Amino acid sequence: MAKHQSSPQSASSQGANSQDANHTLEPFFVLHKAQPQATVVEKVSKSRKGRKKRIESSPKSPEKSKRTTSDEQPSNTLYEQWRFKAFNEIWSLIQSSIEGVLRDINLKLFNEVLQWIEDSFSEIKSNVKLSSSEILQPYPLLADTLCRKIPTAFVLTKNAEFVDDIQTFCDLGSHLKANRCHVANMSALDFSLKFGIGGSVRSLLRQLHSEPLDGKIADMLTLAKWYCEEENNDKPIVVMIDDMECCNADVLGNFITMLSEWVMKIPIFFIMGVATTIEAPKNMLPSDALQHLNPCKLTLGTPSDRMNSLVESVLVEVCYCFSLGHEVSVFLRNYFLRHDGTITSFISALKLACSKHFSLESVSFLGLYMLDQDSEERWSEKFVYLPESMKRCVLNLHSCKSEKNLQGGVGSIVQQLSDLKASQRFWSSVVLCLFEVARYSKMQFLDIFCEATDPKMYCMNGSENSLKKHFRCGDKNSTARSSSGVGSITRVIHTIREMPVAALSNLLDKWNNHTEEMTEINEEVKKLQSVLASVDEGKVYEENLHNIRNRKSVSFISGKGNSANEKVAMLLDAMIRKYMKPLECMTLHEIICFRDVDVLQSGLIGDPRKTIQLDLLKCHSYLSCSCCSSDAKNLSPSMHDTSIMYKLAQEFGDVINLYEWYQSFKTVLTSSSQTSRKKGRPSPASKKAKPLPPSETEALIQARFCGAVTELQISGLLRMPTKRRPNFIQRIAFGL
Amino acid sequence: MAPKRKKVEVEEEEARAQVEVEEEDEEEEELAFSRNYFLAKEVGSASGKRSAARKVSEINLVDDQLLRASLSELPTKHEKEIGSLLESYKGLYSNWLFELRCGFGLLMYGFGSKKALLEDFASSTLTSYTVVVINGYLASVNLKQVMTTIAEILWEHYKCKAKTSTGKKQQTQLPNGLKSVDDIVTFIVDISDDCNCSVCLLIHNIDGPALRDPDSQQHLARVSCCSCICLVASIDHVNAPLLWDKKMVYTQFKWSWHHVPTFVPYKVEGLFNPLILFSSGHVQTTKTALVVLQSLTPNAQSVFRVLAEFQLANEKEEGMHVSELYTKCREQFLVSSQVTLNAHLTEFKDHKLVKMRRHSDGQDCLHIPLPTNALEKLLQELV
Repeated sequence: MAKHQSSPQSASSQGANSQDANHTLEPFFVLHKAQPQATVVEKVSKSRKGRKKRIESSPKSPEKSKRTTSDEQPSNTLYEQWRFKAFNEIWSLIQSSIEGVLRDINLKLFNEVLQWIEDSFSEIKSNVKLSSSEILQPYPLLADTLCRKIPTAFVLTKNAEFVDDIQTFCDLGSHLKANRCHVANMSALDFSLKFGIGGSVRSLLRQLHSEPLDGKIADMLTLAKWYCEEENNDKPIVVMIDDMECCNADVLGNFITMLSEWVMKIPIFFIMGVATTIEAPKNMLPSDALQHLNPCKLTLGTPSDRMNSLVESVLVEVCYCFSLGHEVSVFLRNYFLRHDGTITSFISALKLACSKHFSLESVSFLGLYMLDQDSEERWSEKFVYLPESMKRCVLNLHSCKSEKNLQGGVGSIVQQLSDLKASQRFWSSVVLCLFEVARYSKMQFLDIFCEATDPKMYCMNGSENSLKKHFRCGDKNSTARSSSGVGSITRVIHTIREMPVAALSNLLDKWNNHTEEMTEINEEVKKLQSVLASVDEGKVYEENLHNIRNRKSVSFISGKGNSANEKVAMLLDAMIRKYMKPLECMTLHEIICFRDVDVLQSGLIGDPRKTIQLDLLKCHSYLSCSCCSSDAKNLSPSMHDTSIMYKLAQEFGDVINLYEWYQSFKTVLTSSSQTSRKKGRPSPASKKAKPLPPSETEALIQARFCGAVTELQISGLLRMPTKRRPNFIQRIAFGL
Repeated sequence: MAPKRKKVEVEEEEARAQVEVEEEDEEEEELAFSRNYFLAKEVGSASGKRSAARKVSEINLVDDQLLRASLSELPTKHEKEIGSLLESYKGLYSNWLFELRCGFGLLMYGFGSKKALLEDFASSTLTSYTVVVINGYLASVNLKQVMTTIAEILWEHYKCKAKTSTGKKQQTQLPNGLKSVDDIVTFIVDISDDCNCSVCLLIHNIDGPALRDPDSQQHLARVSCCSCICLVASIDHVNAPLLWDKKMVYTQFKWSWHHVPTFVPYKVEGLFNPLILFSSGHVQTTKTALVVLQSLTPNAQSVFRVLAEFQLANEKEEGMHVSELYTKCREQFLVSSQVTLNAHLTEFKDHKLVKMRRHSDGQDCLHIPLPTNALEKLLQELV
């Protein structure tokens, strides 16, 4: 077998030099050391032609490949750096917005936790006062066992996936640290059977000590010594375990019991994340550990609440420099709802979308100036220095092709960009107004967002009365449509018609803030506010809300149409029609809008199980050789060996008879013509031709067969024969 | 001896098949029930015919040596097309680098060896990174050594930085004071924020045999989320994503998937996989041999070591004479009589650790049916 080592990889030798060949059997090696920063991206982007279309499910437009010529290499690097800078700035903006939103949502809980710790801590301090020599005594204090209870907060995360809560617990940790607490953030890995309780204590000490342990023994006495140091004393120690149910129950139980021995000397608090119910600790922990806990229950917000806030602050409020196209929005919505429902996966998908946008869209760096107050000046300055080729890139964007005005030059492009910016501001204001209603009726913001980005909707709204028609249509089917997310805006308007006056008045107050930039609408809002105020003054609205609601709906049905609710609904209708122009309907939207849903999907969800099988079954589409037939069913000897073998394997059931498989493979390889034949079972001729003398050809075929089986085994598509059944190979993957 | 041997055989079987053989029949029944009716019928009919099923031995198998020789000399089909396919991926290098710099890990999948592609990408594009390549397809990868190397690289930069910034104390201990992988990983995580260098870990087959266990994946995940370390990895197994939980995928590895089928033969990756048509049946591998040897007495292990060292020193020899082995073992006080040696040899032969051959001079000689590198590795691990 050693012979293989020296044989160079013929096809793969392009990238590999002789040094690499020596490295193939080393477990690891340093390929090269870092070179100075100046050469970072110099050697990239050679050719963007040929098969690239196949590599990416949604390739760049042909214009983009045209403009990459060799003389533009250095400037390409420069634009890439600009784009990277733009990504960094915009993503840090989005990220800080995300962090802010999540922190705000959890702040109430954080303060609750802090209050609970402070109360318990002061209680402990008032009961027990110990000197450091007493604390350092290695034996427990003689005290009532009832006192040996560790205050424990079980935080119900309401989330089957704890991945979202990792960040929450980190934030909680920093919040507590900022408020005079020692914090150790531990996870299930610290409570594994492998390392036992020693591992847990070591991890606890490692987190509390700012310096490494330096060979100190990790035990409670070390912790006590550390706590006796002046700067550490007089603060509670909070041990947080984010996913308590994933911990090993015995290790955690022992840990609790051990800490409880010291709780009189060192004030320890537990905060444990519980994903299921409050009963979980009872079911999981041994009773002797459980009796040392003094439990308290706290609850986190639901993922859908968090999602609403994220959509509002990230997708709508910070949408001037990077936004999502309709298809991408719908994909992300489905990804959130159907994939795993975690905020973390949504955020990572958003980040990938953002990086793909700046990586693939050559003029995306222009989006960065959307953030500036003096965007127009910045664009004008930028365009002066941009070479003709880059200006052409802007003009070649798909949305510019129909726009004749743009041919006028830099001024018109800058004008269009400012229009884009203004339109986005209006769009987000209207969407925020819609969200205010959705908040009242507890609708999902993401549904509304998807609908608001739909360019088809806008085109439909363009014609006279069509919006109304749409809404009327929505009225009838609103319940049917609500589940699919279609008609969310219709439902929002419907909600307004049924809102009680008090809520309506609140709504208008909020709209007043959101519509400040749309003077015309803002005036209308103010008028409606005064109308509502006069109604309030004229009639004493002491009646319960139910009555009001009934009366309003009666007036709506009776067709009067001039009630305050109807007016507000009409105003929203007008706002949508005039100002809610989806980004994709705007010229130059490509600069800030990411629309490539296929690219995002393939980057996010690999699905190797399906794809690797497809690679084998459709290898011709990748290799596009002239020797093999493009018809997937035809097998020719020139085809890739493993591909032939895998296609043949499709004919078998759960198990493959090695002899038959080999004979079929041999027949394919030895058949000179490409005639289609019955696969799977060896032809009688080949069976008869069995006693071939072991020749070079036979050895070659057997070698090919062995190689292909090994490759299929590496891909995980086969299970090798076992002692009990040496003549059969088991198939593992079935269907795509 | 008998019960011990039985135990050894069970262990050997576990290591060799990696699948519990005893459950096989149950599994088959389950399959028949769980899959749809027609498929169940098909399996039923297949098992009915099984008595008449053709055997592998009916294939006119060629000699092992010839088979290996042919395999090493196999011409690659579609060499030109594969070449241009690889060439076409070069256009994506800049995008890949962009994503790496954005903080994503690159995960390459698709049929065909991606070793050459990724190393070409690293050497042409990742010039500003120190690139550490891990050949995950080798079972001999020792993650501790890898982590130590990374820690040393970072430590070097950290020390340089600490020297320049006068006020800063060197707070962390030297990498050579670290004992377990866990310690080293923690050390890397601790100092990574203060290092102004960029290290790229290029892992061929992150789903490879030595990295498949949860601990290794956890270590890699922890390292991958360090600020100065980025990850480029390839997978080949269709079920590779099952290695990771959500925390690893979204907050640590942060994969960006790239489908890059290359159709390049898996020559190095498949080097240590036993060939299906190997006429001598089950191939002894380092792992199975190690399992057997570890269960034998220290004396028996030493006898094996004498034989193995002889074979390594005399690669061209056909084998070691029994009498020669006896003399050497007696010199080292490993055996007291020929009978004891024979007992050891019988044990070896039963487990296919040693084969008897007829030497060209007519005498019987002993030979270990393992390639040189596998034998070397075996001796290292036998310590």
